[in-house]
Amino acid sequence: MIFVTGPLFSGKKEYIRSALRMTEAEFERVAVWDVQLLAEGDLKSLADKLAEKEIVIATEIGGGVVPIDTEERTHREAAGRLACLLAERADTVIRVCCGLPQLLKGEWPCRSC
Amino acid sequence: MLTLIIGGASSGKSRYAESMVQTLPGKRIYLATMRPSDGESIARVAKHRVQREGKHFETIECYTNLTVCEVRQDDNVLLEDLANLLANELFSPEGKGVEAVNRGIEALQARCTHLTIVSNEVFSGGNVYEGETLHFLKDLAQCNRYIAQRADLVVEMVCGIPNILKRR
Repeated sequence: MIFVTGPLFSGKKEYIRSALRMTEAEFERVAVWDVQLLAEGDLKSLADKLAEKEIVIATEIGGGVVPIDTEERTHREAAGRLACLLAERADTVIRVCCGLPQLLKGEWPCRSC
Repeated sequence: MLTLIIGGASSGKSRYAESMVQTLPGKRIYLATMRPSDGESIARVAKHRVQREGKHFETIECYTNLTVCEVRQDDNVLLEDLANLLANELFSPEGKGVEAVNRGIEALQARCTHLTIVSNEVFSGGNVYEGETLHFLKDLAQCNRYIAQRADLVVEMVCGIPNILKRR
């Protein structure tokens, strides 16, 4: 599994889709994105389930001020933990910033090799 | 050479950008985009001026429409910063929107030898924004990606340490 993370609007989907030369339809079949929104409950089971996909994409949301609202705070922490669990399960972890990829774990993805 | 330096608040962007620009040839131009409008921004401008002292920069203020900004062929330009420029193009009466930022950067790049742009990493705090703020974030991200794609060097500053995202 390839885990792609990075800040909001940094071009995560566009990058991995074009790196793997996928059509939009193909991409939608093998990838799941905005998984930070799913972070609640049993995070380990969720990470296991998500890791069955070829590509998992999450937006980093833990960088701002700690939210005053309890629910938002809990969700943000769950999102961060989920990202860690996904990175553990991933063969490859890539962070995209300004549309530029940086390899954090594993090898650069390449479909033909 | 086109360089993009991005980072969070007080991550050492300006300091790094200024020292990098000093290693490049050409007349150093500091292209200031922040319109000093209140006490805080005036103080910030003063702080940055002190930081630049002795580094031989000529300061040009340009708040919108970079296409008319007077730089010359051999100039070594440091633009600071992109978020202020975008905010001016989006929210000031004479502003012409996000496209004016990208067109301005292109025009500037075509005219000077070295262009170094400082921009802001404000995208890791979640998407709990709405309305104008969310629009602003989307537009700034688009400008960042556009410049990063064209740039020869892209650096993300992390607590004063440069993390090289791209080097051509």
